[in-house]
Amino acid sequence: MRWAAAGAGGVVLLCWPLLVPPYFVFLTSLIVVNAIVAIGLNLLSGYTNQLSFGHAGFFAVGAYVAAVLTLRAPALPVVATLALAGLATALVGLALGIPCLRLEGLYLAMATLAFGFVVVEAILNLDWLTRGNDGLAVPAARLGPLALGSDAAKYYLVLGVGALMVAAAVNIARTRTGRALLAIRESEIAAQASGVHLAAYKTLAFAVSAFYTGVAGGLFAFVVGFISPDAFDVFLSVDFVAMIIVGGLGSIPGSIVGAAVITLLYDWLAAFQNYRPLLFGLILIGCMLFMPGGIASRMAKWTHQAQ
Amino acid sequence: MTTTALVHVVVSGLATGSIYALMAISLVIIYNATRTLNFAQGEMLMISTFVGWSAHEALRLPLPLVLLIAVAAAAALGWLVERLVIRHAIAATHLDVLIITLGLSLVLRAAAGLVWTHDEFPFPSFFRERPIGLGPLRVAPVSLGIIGGSLALMLALAALFRWTRLGRAMRAVAQNQRAARLMGISVERVYSASWVLAAVVGAIAGVLIAPVIFLSSKMGLVAINGFTAAVLGGFGSMPGAVVGGMLLGVLENLAPLWLPAGIKHSVPFLLMIAILVIRPSGVLGRVRQRKV
Amino acid sequence: MRTLLTVLALLALLGAPPAGAQTPGVTDAEILLGGSNSFSGPLAFTGEQITKFGVDLYFRVVNDAGGIHGRKLRTVYYDDGYKPQEAVANTRKLVEQDKVFALIAPQGSPPVVATLGYVEEQRVPMLFPYQSSPVTRGKKWVFQGMTVSDRSSRMMVDYLAGQRKIKRFAAIYQDDEYGKSFLAAFEKDLGRHRLKLLAAESVKRGVSDVSAQIAKLQAAKPEVLFLVLVPGPAAQALKERQKIGWKDVLMVSTGPLTDERYLALAGDAAEGVEGLSLWPDPVTSDLPGVKRYREHMTKYFPKNEPNRYSVAGYFAGMLFTEAAQRAGRALTRAALVAALESTKGFESGILPPLTIGPDHETQKQGFWVRVEKGRFKQLTDWLRSE
Repeated sequence: MRWAAAGAGGVVLLCWPLLVPPYFVFLTSLIVVNAIVAIGLNLLSGYTNQLSFGHAGFFAVGAYVAAVLTLRAPALPVVATLALAGLATALVGLALGIPCLRLEGLYLAMATLAFGFVVVEAILNLDWLTRGNDGLAVPAARLGPLALGSDAAKYYLVLGVGALMVAAAVNIARTRTGRALLAIRESEIAAQASGVHLAAYKTLAFAVSAFYTGVAGGLFAFVVGFISPDAFDVFLSVDFVAMIIVGGLGSIPGSIVGAAVITLLYDWLAAFQNYRPLLFGLILIGCMLFMPGGIASRMAKWTHQAQ
Repeated sequence: MTTTALVHVVVSGLATGSIYALMAISLVIIYNATRTLNFAQGEMLMISTFVGWSAHEALRLPLPLVLLIAVAAAAALGWLVERLVIRHAIAATHLDVLIITLGLSLVLRAAAGLVWTHDEFPFPSFFRERPIGLGPLRVAPVSLGIIGGSLALMLALAALFRWTRLGRAMRAVAQNQRAARLMGISVERVYSASWVLAAVVGAIAGVLIAPVIFLSSKMGLVAINGFTAAVLGGFGSMPGAVVGGMLLGVLENLAPLWLPAGIKHSVPFLLMIAILVIRPSGVLGRVRQRKV
Repeated sequence: MRTLLTVLALLALLGAPPAGAQTPGVTDAEILLGGSNSFSGPLAFTGEQITKFGVDLYFRVVNDAGGIHGRKLRTVYYDDGYKPQEAVANTRKLVEQDKVFALIAPQGSPPVVATLGYVEEQRVPMLFPYQSSPVTRGKKWVFQGMTVSDRSSRMMVDYLAGQRKIKRFAAIYQDDEYGKSFLAAFEKDLGRHRLKLLAAESVKRGVSDVSAQIAKLQAAKPEVLFLVLVPGPAAQALKERQKIGWKDVLMVSTGPLTDERYLALAGDAAEGVEGLSLWPDPVTSDLPGVKRYREHMTKYFPKNEPNRYSVAGYFAGMLFTEAAQRAGRALTRAALVAALESTKGFESGILPPLTIGPDHETQKQGFWVRVEKGRFKQLTDWLRSE
């Protein structure tokens, strides 16, 4: 039964560009991109309890690395471009994560918030590479002879990478590493007492989270086709945090649902013009008041009741 | 650069710095009581300043009365927010509360835009702008006024925390909620009082700074500097918040004087990361023991 | 797997709607226009004034008079909060879901630039974007709205260095696309006069104190200081000058800045400031078009005060209406572009007679003003940038 449902879902996802107009294909791609960020952020916040308000910074690093690589080395296959974007971002994540090891909770949130601002400033100042405020038009990604220019092609790219990333995340959660991370979430001191190397795992979580976000940033550059520093402000970081909290901390399906909810809300509320932030804020407050723990914990409750 | 100019730049920095300090203090007041960050602090400041201004526009009230109205509006807003929203989330995690205050900041800013538009408005000032001579130096009364007003408020707050029953209760709750409850302190009342007090401090800061940065729906963004200031001073410490705010204001003004264009705008953030990494307890703070 | 993908790709091609069946957004009864704009974020006030109180104001006048060839005008706007990615999403939604006939008056360089490639590819007219960077040049489907920065700069520098023989210039600019495109243009135009910018200081968006920048600029002893800022920081710069008693300098505001809002904010600190004005004074001008604009504003939005942003939107609505009238009953996107391209000597009663050339720029002029008793006083006739 579960397998049948998953199979049907997979077929719908594969045929999606045939079923809906291109705009929804584009929107779905954005949802998947955001879902990858949300999963990455959740690996950090949901598992090791390290809250980040700087993921727009990682996202920007990934987007710019992918964009610059595509412009400077057009022959590079997109898979390599994305991998490099992810790795570069993971390195940045390490550079931020190691000094931040001692920090917890609020202090880490502050440091990452500042990091987000610094990344935007760096993009502005490296204008020989990033063209500063003018922004970069990102050409279509290439896979051998194929230029992935259409919405459907971009969608399949995003979906393929997204599926890989989800699978990897599920596996991380199931392994020794995942259990160690969960143990850290429950109690750092207890985890340490049971032999978990705290510093190593927290740093690892930082790097992996940055990797996810960097890959998503690269995909974002291809899907939207244009990036500029204004895209990556602190409010984007806040949106990412909102995704995992609305979806559910520490839950991978929750991350995906949260990303979908926030992305669709933005799309839907755009038509309300000046009322958009008002409604968005009210929905956030409502979610938290009536659904603490996010959608994932509510879903778990429902399935529990159904059984 | 002449000494006169340098003194002026530093005094200007101290003026904005004292506003950052007030923002930091109001954030710390709420943090100490409820262990949460209030992302809507800046928007609460903005709303109460707007309310005062509306009264001024409609009734041509004198400025001291405008300040009183802004303070009253802030107190009411702080009380309502705590009572209607935050208290219902008390069982939720701190992160949930964080998102709630974030939602609140969006709601308040959008509501202000709907009521007063997103335009910027001039705001009447207690102090004049044309410079006065102090010996060989020239300073703007408005800068001195802001610094003086803020310092007076800080002293009043210090007195409140030290010598009143409420202040002692708030300090007790900040140190250990369970112990405070066992001592017979109504923690809920302290929550309420903290939100009201933080909002009132914000409103006074708003009325002081609005003539300088102008009244608009986006003036609440000054709270971001308040966060930075609070971190510089070591989050949770009141004297730290004051020093952090002043330091940030002065550094923000001195950085453009000597640093190249590429880096000067990053100074507050680089400094914040540096402080966090090297000395997370802030410039004044002590390292706190971690609780199991 | 590969065959499956090929089959899917072919199906996707077949599923695409046939091109050119009917002009999107045009029915017998109405013409639908849309735009992505700022209704939240740093430019929310401007966005609302341009669209709801500008474009829509003129369209209400047109609709009450029977519409264009019997078709009523309808608009739909989406909020992008000044973010490029949201502008892309909104623009796609407008074109693909709402099927608008054309995009009207989007605002801000980053959001507009992000959508340029898409509108050219889709051949959707983008009408009168409200932004001052020259990036919109040479686009077949885009008609620039505001006078671009290099033209503004040429008029300002030629007037000050040429006619008024001023030699010492400095600038304080916003650290973004708007500020930097002006700075580059100033340096180029001053170079033509064998002059240089003595000093340039940047201000971060949303910063609360500009005393350091002003102190540094004062030390360079310029005769003229260009203000390339938005109203808040510009008014702060003027007040700061008053605070330090810096008298022997002429502050000059750029086209996008010269408006009533920053005068109101600066109060008496604005007295004597000069600048390039892109629009006639919306409150006091006696030009027939501006008078009509004020009458329409009082009639439809009595509570909204006249300002340059709504004038710009009103003018955009007027220009679209004029071209759509001439394009005839069989309105298509290509016909609209052709009509706009053939605009000759159009009398708006607001700006001088307008002829749109192959460069698609609808505004190229401004005049010089000085602030006297809290209002702009016109000092020159229209300056040209050809």
